[in-house]
This record gives sequence, C-alpha cells and structure tokens, in this order.
Amino acid sequence: MKKNTVYLDNNAATRVDPRVVKYMDEFHLHDYAVASSQFSHTPGIRAKESVDTSREIIAKRIGAKPGEIVFTSGETESNNLALMGAVASNKDKNRNKIIISKIEHFSVLHTAERLKRNGYELCYIDVDEEGFIDLEKLESLVDERTLFVSVMHANHEVGTIQDLNAVSKLAKKKNAYFHTDATYSFLQVPIDVEETGIDLLSIDANLIHGPKGVGALYVREGVSIEKIFEGGYQENNLRPGTENVPGIAGFGKACELFDKSDIHKVTELRNNLHTGLTSGIKGTLLNGPGDFSRRIPNNLNLSFEYIEGESVVLHLDMRGIAVITGSACFSRALQASHILLAMGFTHERAHGSIRFSPSKYTSNEDIDYTISNVKEVVEKLRELSPIGK
Amino acid sequence: MATAVKTVVDCISENCPMPLVKTRAAIMDAKKGDVIMVKGTHPQSYEEIPMALDAMDIKVLEQKYEDATWYITFMVS
Repeated sequence: MKKNTVYLDNNAATRVDPRVVKYMDEFHLHDYAVASSQFSHTPGIRAKESVDTSREIIAKRIGAKPGEIVFTSGETESNNLALMGAVASNKDKNRNKIIISKIEHFSVLHTAERLKRNGYELCYIDVDEEGFIDLEKLESLVDERTLFVSVMHANHEVGTIQDLNAVSKLAKKKNAYFHTDATYSFLQVPIDVEETGIDLLSIDANLIHGPKGVGALYVREGVSIEKIFEGGYQENNLRPGTENVPGIAGFGKACELFDKSDIHKVTELRNNLHTGLTSGIKGTLLNGPGDFSRRIPNNLNLSFEYIEGESVVLHLDMRGIAVITGSACFSRALQASHILLAMGFTHERAHGSIRFSPSKYTSNEDIDYTISNVKEVVEKLRELSPIGK
Repeated sequence: MATAVKTVVDCISENCPMPLVKTRAAIMDAKKGDVIMVKGTHPQSYEEIPMALDAMDIKVLEQKYEDATWYITFMVS
C-alpha cells in the first residue's frame, strides 16, 4: 500500500507552492498592516504596495490594466459580484434578460436563478455531448434586452474550453456585457481580455497553487457594475472590507511562479493516465472533449460502466488516491452532476464518472500507481456488481 | 473472540456504499491496535469491505454470516 496520498483533485484545489507560503508569511508576521493610502503610516503603505504589485502581475497575465482588477474572496464572490453587480448598476436600461450556459459553476447558476426569482428573464444555452455550447442557440437568444451573457472559459468537471471569441462577438452585436468564469483555465490557457472582448472575468488563486480565500474580478474600464455589499471604499469602491493582504500577495506570487513547462508536464501526465486507463479497462468512457487540445491540460473525466463512482472514490481513497465523482451521493446537493446531465448523459453514466486532475506535484510514479489501482478496483467492483459480471 | 472489540459499526439495513463509508470513518477515528466490528446486511458490502481492508494492509480477524446479518471484525494496523 502507498503511504503518501496521490492527490488528483487539482480541478478543485491545488497544493500551495511553498515559495508562496513563505512569501505570504511576511505579510502575516511583519508587514501585517491594513493596506492604506500614501497619507498613512509606513507599514500601511508597504501593505498597499504589495497589493498593487499583485494587481499589476495579474492584470498583465490577462492583458488588462491594473485598475481593472478587483480583489475578492474567490471564484464564488467574483461571479456574484459580476452578475449581481451588473444587474444592480443597470436597472434603468430596459435590459432584463440574462443568458448563461447550462454547465456553469453553481456560483453563476444559482446567482442567475436568484435574479430570475427577482424578475429577470433567464435563458440557458445548451451544450453538446462534449460540453461545447450551442453558438446558434446563443445567437438566437441574444437581443437588445440582454444585459449579459455568462459562459465559463473552461469547465471544472469535463475540462471543455469554449470559443470565447465567438461568444463575445455574439454578445457585442447587441451591446450585452460578456462575463466569463476563467477560474479553471487561468494561466493554463492564454487569454487576453482586450483581444477577446471580455467585460468581466473571474479568477481564483486556489487553482494555481496559490492560497484559498482570494480571487479577483476583472472589470473592463467603462463597464458599469455596483458593489453588492456595503462597507468602505476599498477596491475601487466595488469590494468593501479590509483587503486580504497576505492572500493577495500570495495570489500575485503564485502567478509569477507559474511556469509554462509545468503545463507540458501536466499534459503528459494526464495523457499517460488516459492511455493507461482506457487501454487497460474495457467499458471506459471519456467524458468531455476527445480532442485534448480543446480541453484544459489537467483534466480527465472517465465513466466506468456497471459501477458507481462513489464506490470507486472510496476504494481509491483507502489506497491513498484522491479523486472525485459526479455521482449524486458524493454531492452535497445529493444530485448527479448538472454538467454531465446537460451534456445528455444518462444518470448511470453520471453516477459512474470519475475526475482525475494532476498537477505539477504529481509524479510519473503516482500515475502508474493510479492506473494499476483503478484497474484492480474497477475489476473487483464489477465482479461484485450484479450487472457488471 | 479473544481480542476485545472496541468499536461496533452498525450498518444493518444500509446499502452500498454506506457500510464502506462508515467503516472508513471508524478506521480514521481509531488508534493502531483497536479492534472494530462492522455488522450489516447488504450482501455486496460483505465482499467489498474485506477487499478495501486488504488494500490498506488491515487483517480481518473474523468474518461470518448469522441469520442474514454479517459480521466483519478487524484490527487497525
């Protein structure tokens, strides 16, 4: 039995780079003042400088200006601020229609549903069996009453990368705002907010070997949104409350340290895992794009016929391998993955799905260990299953 | 049995994967050398739990069926 955990859940949370932790410690132990203006004391000014440095680093990575970056507590808050903030600021513009894809993160999906309860017309864009949105459907939905279109850049369960240029063009034709949740693609897939025509973009440090509890929302200059809770005037008067200086500093450092060679490494690990599992286990189905160039490098999602995902997860966990499933029992909502169901999969296939997501900290040995153990677990569970024999 | 059972995990009437979920939770709470007895009725779990214990290098001390209820006793290592 392997004693160290093989962690393959990096589409949910990543290990913080030790250099990021060390850098953040400075702001916990020494430069711990509240970030404040040039008229304040020196520690406050230094804290503010570190926040602004991170702002510059992050802005550069997406082709934005530093002043267009608003720090938040993460993906969920960024998405809430984008959607609710846009609605709050544009009530008088006779635009009461919002459009989202069916495979959005809950923080977009549930926020949009709340807006619907408050009187907004909510329209959904369908996806195909690989998770790509139906652009013709989107074109038919966008009109002069549309306030915004929200389509995530890459999906967190099946890794599908959307064609944001196409989405943006359709939204712009009718002068609707375009928001994208780029949490799962950030740094892995190049993005330029200017070239693509993105108005609002959400990201999170937690997915790039940065700390939890810190993210950002890009707000294009001239795009009108309003803060969604009250307090001070921080973050360009869009996000009240004391800035999370250590977190923001860590977010910037994680961006700075992100190395393109890690993407090649992770892609190779993911591909080897895919080859090993699909060639060695009959009845293995790939969920998400078959063309891996249209899928984020650190994502693999498979269904194993005749067995349930949660059993696989439990048995792998007891062998020291951390993965997740789209099965209902695993979810806090006790519902099968809305993403896999939107892709047209049966409940059985959704229940049998397992997501594997490696990182730069995953080794070839980890992948070999995972392949041999998944094979063994799937074979044994099928022997026990009345329909798998 | 010679070794005293420290924890009994009751999974009677519970279906897969709950017996395995509860067994794992009991192992996580246990100390090395603790003896745990899991009892249940779901047939697949009777085969599945020893398989998982084997993967964790945990030795099953006793495994039996009595009146449609099964019992699996093991020592945490």
